[in-house]
Amino acid sequence: MIKKTLLAASVVCAASNFAFADTLVIGAPMPSFADKWMSYLFEGINDFNDKHSDVEIKMTDANEDPSKMLNDVDNFIDAGVNALLVVPTDIAIVKPIAKKANRANIPLVIVNRLPDESAMKNVDAYVGSESIQAGIIQAESVVGMLDGKQGNIAILMGVLGHEAQIKRTEGNKQVFSQYSNIKIVAEQEGRWDRAKALQIVEDLLQAHPEINVIVANNDEMAIGALLAARKAGLTDADLIITGVDATPDALEYLGSGLDSTVFQSAKGQGYGGAEIAYKLAKGEKVQKMNWINFELVLEEQKVEYLYKYQ
Amino acid sequence: MIKEASANARKTHYTEILNKYGMLLILILLFSALSLKIDGFASFRNIFSILEQVSMFGIIAIGVTFAIVTGGIDLSSGAVVALASVVGASIVTGTEGYGMTIFAFGAAMFVGSICGLINGSITAYGRIPPFIATLGMMTMARGVAQLVSNGRPIDASSDAFTSIGDGSIFGVPGLVVIYVLVAITCHIMMSRMSFGRHVFAIGGNVNTAKICGVNVEITLLKVYILAGALAGLAGAMLTSRAYAGNPTFGNMWELDAIAAAVIGGTSLAGGVGSVPMCIVGALIIGVMNKGLNMLGVDPYWQQIIKGMIIIGAVLLDAQKRKKA
Repeated sequence: MIKKTLLAASVVCAASNFAFADTLVIGAPMPSFADKWMSYLFEGINDFNDKHSDVEIKMTDANEDPSKMLNDVDNFIDAGVNALLVVPTDIAIVKPIAKKANRANIPLVIVNRLPDESAMKNVDAYVGSESIQAGIIQAESVVGMLDGKQGNIAILMGVLGHEAQIKRTEGNKQVFSQYSNIKIVAEQEGRWDRAKALQIVEDLLQAHPEINVIVANNDEMAIGALLAARKAGLTDADLIITGVDATPDALEYLGSGLDSTVFQSAKGQGYGGAEIAYKLAKGEKVQKMNWINFELVLEEQKVEYLYKYQ
Repeated sequence: MIKEASANARKTHYTEILNKYGMLLILILLFSALSLKIDGFASFRNIFSILEQVSMFGIIAIGVTFAIVTGGIDLSSGAVVALASVVGASIVTGTEGYGMTIFAFGAAMFVGSICGLINGSITAYGRIPPFIATLGMMTMARGVAQLVSNGRPIDASSDAFTSIGDGSIFGVPGLVVIYVLVAITCHIMMSRMSFGRHVFAIGGNVNTAKICGVNVEITLLKVYILAGALAGLAGAMLTSRAYAGNPTFGNMWELDAIAAAVIGGTSLAGGVGSVPMCIVGALIIGVMNKGLNMLGVDPYWQQIIKGMIIIGAVLLDAQKRKKA
């Protein structure tokens, strides 16, 4: 009896699946709703969603858990979405996601975290910024501020293995290695996290009092560094601190501890990703690699960039 | 159990049945309600998809059920999943063929059972409460996982290995097949073998168990080794599903597993629990996760709802014990 009802129900359901063919549905599994920077990316996606009446973008939160993200992808595929827009929890998870999407014949757009080449083969489009550029811009601003003085640098890295961590750090080192007055004293993993960075920098400043530059892979860690420096009684003049992302929080600190940051348009990536996914869902052709540029932000540009978040 | 109850009195017979199968009823109601609300929810594709998503923490939940029935707990399983996944992935990376696949699964389970052995020894011989022993292991295993993998995901895309998580036998996903096999084996161990009787005896009353000649230490050791090995197996399964081992895997899975056991009616006071009901508990969580997702419920609300259901289940358990 139950079997029959189930069977009947599934037949009915299969038939009614054709119903929502007029509005496009885009499934968007996201890594974490708790991440501040990410929330601006979501804003970009929602922005696009609001401006287009013929598309509905549904987001899910994986809580930074790769296996939860796989479940979310499964669910969207089962629900028969027209395209997938994914910010992966880590780049290793892209491969199985791509396999699932390919098998179901659903176009897949990856945003923000660049998968390796072999995984990219099965991805329809990528939207993001070239992380190495951020590292280079950031390091060049430090070189400018040091102006020939001795620089003892501590690098705070994001979660090891993230493309942004590897490339931003690489960009930093590429620049620093060209200057004999600059030495990297310490490299530590702050896991993108303010509290973790605060703790690391507290310890670092004790162990290496000669440190006068802190380069962080993102703003949250830069802010952590800045808070640790304040706790240690150091003033703005003692330390050069620089981050990446230009989050509103970081912009507030620009000029009062934080010396520079690099703007990666979260909103731009979210909006751009949504646009590409929308085009793919409609069956249009798109470019495979879509780059969104980084910009250096100093105290002078503070107001201009704060305005972007209004 | 049912036989005894019906022998006693008709009235208690019904409450007994309700106590025993109440959660099964809730599962069926939940599933039916969601099937009415969501297109395609009551399809084989979707049921298998739910089972597949449940299979990994469901297997952990079975191991945890054994621990809880003895009056203990295992908080380390999520971290053991991470450790087993990076160990499994580093063995299988760049290899071909089923030989290495079986070896990787074996190694993952072996690593898990070593963690379990340590948990069990500290609990049984060190007389440290299992809450503390496994809490320590939770931090340690996660640390070792990060150490082994250097904090990065390890690629595990060997075709043979990923076919376990990707493939299916007669339409049943590979991971579900493993779940069913594990469930049957563990159910037999718990309900038909002397090991199972000892587990219940310890949970009922340690001293009585001792007087009756149960070797409490060895039994506890076996229980935690089993729980560890199952967590290791879940780690290997997840690795094959995700094509990679990752030290961040299994984050908070121990809580999902404990929740599954408790929702299924396993008493945190020990002495009560069963494998089939643990599966029902895991399925309630799985059906709910999937349903709430497909309904598009705000993820923040999903967490709140999940928390409330767990608390509800524990309250129910407390009520039952008060009456008994």
